[in-house]
Amino acid sequence: MTYRLSDDQRLLSESVRAFFTGTHPPQSVRQAASEGHVAATVRQGLVEMGLTRLLVPEAHGGLGLGFLEGALVAREAGRVCLADPLLEAALVAAPWLASRGQTDALDAISEGRSQAPLAHEANPWVLGGGGDRLDSIDPLRRLTTAPQVRSDDALLLNIGALMTAAELVGLAEAMLEQACAYAKVRQQFGQPIGAFQAIKHQLANCAVCLEFARPVVWRAACALQDGTPTAPLHVSHAKVVATDAAWSTAETAIQVHGAMGYTYEVDLHFWMKRSWALAGAWGHRDFHLNRIDAALIGGDVPVGPSFTFI
Amino acid sequence: MKLQYTPEQQAFRAEVRAWMAAHVPKEPLLTLEGRQGYDQHVAWERELAGGNWGMVTWDEAYGGRGLNLIEWLIFEEEYWAAGAPLRVNQNGIFLLGPTIMDVGTAKQKARFLPPMARGETIWAQAWSEPNAGSDMAAITCRADRDGDHYVLNGQKTWSSRGAFADWAFGLFRSDRDSKRHKGLSFIVFDLNSPGITRRPIRQLHGNPGFAEIFFDNVRTPVENRLGGEGDGWNVAMATAGFERGLMLRSPGRFQAAAQRLIELYRANASHAAPSTREAVVRAWSAAQAYAYNTYAVAADIMAGGRIGAESSLNKIFWSELDRAMHRTAMHLLGAGAELRRFADGAVNDWLEGYVFSLSGPIYAGSNEIQRNIVAERLLGLPRAGAG
Repeated sequence: MTYRLSDDQRLLSESVRAFFTGTHPPQSVRQAASEGHVAATVRQGLVEMGLTRLLVPEAHGGLGLGFLEGALVAREAGRVCLADPLLEAALVAAPWLASRGQTDALDAISEGRSQAPLAHEANPWVLGGGGDRLDSIDPLRRLTTAPQVRSDDALLLNIGALMTAAELVGLAEAMLEQACAYAKVRQQFGQPIGAFQAIKHQLANCAVCLEFARPVVWRAACALQDGTPTAPLHVSHAKVVATDAAWSTAETAIQVHGAMGYTYEVDLHFWMKRSWALAGAWGHRDFHLNRIDAALIGGDVPVGPSFTFI
Repeated sequence: MKLQYTPEQQAFRAEVRAWMAAHVPKEPLLTLEGRQGYDQHVAWERELAGGNWGMVTWDEAYGGRGLNLIEWLIFEEEYWAAGAPLRVNQNGIFLLGPTIMDVGTAKQKARFLPPMARGETIWAQAWSEPNAGSDMAAITCRADRDGDHYVLNGQKTWSSRGAFADWAFGLFRSDRDSKRHKGLSFIVFDLNSPGITRRPIRQLHGNPGFAEIFFDNVRTPVENRLGGEGDGWNVAMATAGFERGLMLRSPGRFQAAAQRLIELYRANASHAAPSTREAVVRAWSAAQAYAYNTYAVAADIMAGGRIGAESSLNKIFWSELDRAMHRTAMHLLGAGAELRRFADGAVNDWLEGYVFSLSGPIYAGSNEIQRNIVAERLLGLPRAGAG
């Protein structure tokens, strides 16, 4: 029993963070939004970093890593509000296709040529895809209408919800950092507004929320990886707490920014809009809350101190 | 990450479970805040010690089993799953004990730890003073050096277990001219020393849960100082870190409450509102999250890490979770919630638990202070008044 990221997993997180910090500054988010597409160099970088192959089985030329590594990368993508939908292909579509023996598209995903748009009945849209364009509040999400035939595969839903939860954690972390940075420099009444307890305590609440969301997401990733029978419960748990962390941090962050937070000029809104979008994706909050409810109150999942890990 | 227990850990869990099943009192004990209940809880500490369960993480030389933090968590899980009583000596085993382990001399360890593990010496804390609550650096209680003794004078208050305990620990100003955090020393003392007057304070439920302690030229040997003279603040902060961070409230306690809350909900489902149902789900959600986080903190410490300001995040989380869970139970109990005993004679422990939960966000450093610590030390926000 070791509830701790391995050295390799820490190294993966650190190197991906360093890579994104260097190649994907907020300016690239802004640029992608105004030009309508992400710079080709961003995707090329993802391919060169091996992130497109992260969860592709080794037999198909991938790195063959697990859902926890995938979730760690999804969190980093959230931190920088990655303007490329590739991770949805690499972290959701690739492992699902591989697990279902549909390996034809894996090469294209690995090489960054395909988004492998997936239609699932949980989502009224497809990310990428060839249908009619739908307009998301998140200018970086290229959504199209969902086809008539959509998957109802629970594994696909669970992978999608897990990676979304991890990305929401990263989004929340970044929004909290943006709000803290602003609170340190914005002066009113002769001092930084971050010196006021009314500001401090709201931001501290976000930190509490995040501290107790992260381990739930990693736990869900392990459950999915290990094939734990209760994995759907843990994935739903992760999606709910990550959604709540991101949603409440977004509201706090805009409040701390004051009127500046309501402008297009401040970067915060990109992260906030992504959070709203992901809150509903791959099973909305109430869907997952109901799934927890059904397992706990309606079902026979063992609960109590003896069953921390089930 | 490896979220499976080893066969040895599973065997250890089975051993704890079997012992608890055979020894946990069938009838709940009276509250440890009253004389009779306090004595019952002390007897329970000694029964635990009889099974060598006093403090499983301590070295065998000090009355422990030399187990690691994962095994401590397993012990705690089975302890709370069995419905075992509160630990009347928690100030000793969870707060002072780790501090002695950290900064105590070999002689101090040998002297204080074994009787603590055996439940022979029950400890009270003595931090607060009438004018030093949240602002603990405003302490004025004095410890004046007189040869190989300190002479203690002043007043402490809100001393948990102070009404009945044997010994206590606290901060005293050993440098008369010092200010704030400097010049304080961490001193332990016998509560039955000449010159000490204890005045129990009646709590809102009517029991004398904590006490004022008055010092009138109380002599305590210099060897009862933990850490260096004048270094008391740092020693105390280490104690506070253990308290808030890991040991004081192990997750099993909240998981057990969440489990009981689910059962209470099922029994009252016919008249419960959807919002109450969500509160039940969220109680489980938070208790589980707290457990995962605790396992993560334990793993970090086992890998050589230390608990810092992160412990404030924990303290905020569990204390507000505890209050919310008991509030939800009170709502579910409806018109029966006010009864101290139900019509069948059973103690309404949700009511007792709710009253107790209100103290959680206040003691061990109020949650307002914790939020300041989080904001300033973890988020890097400026201190009040900074220009």
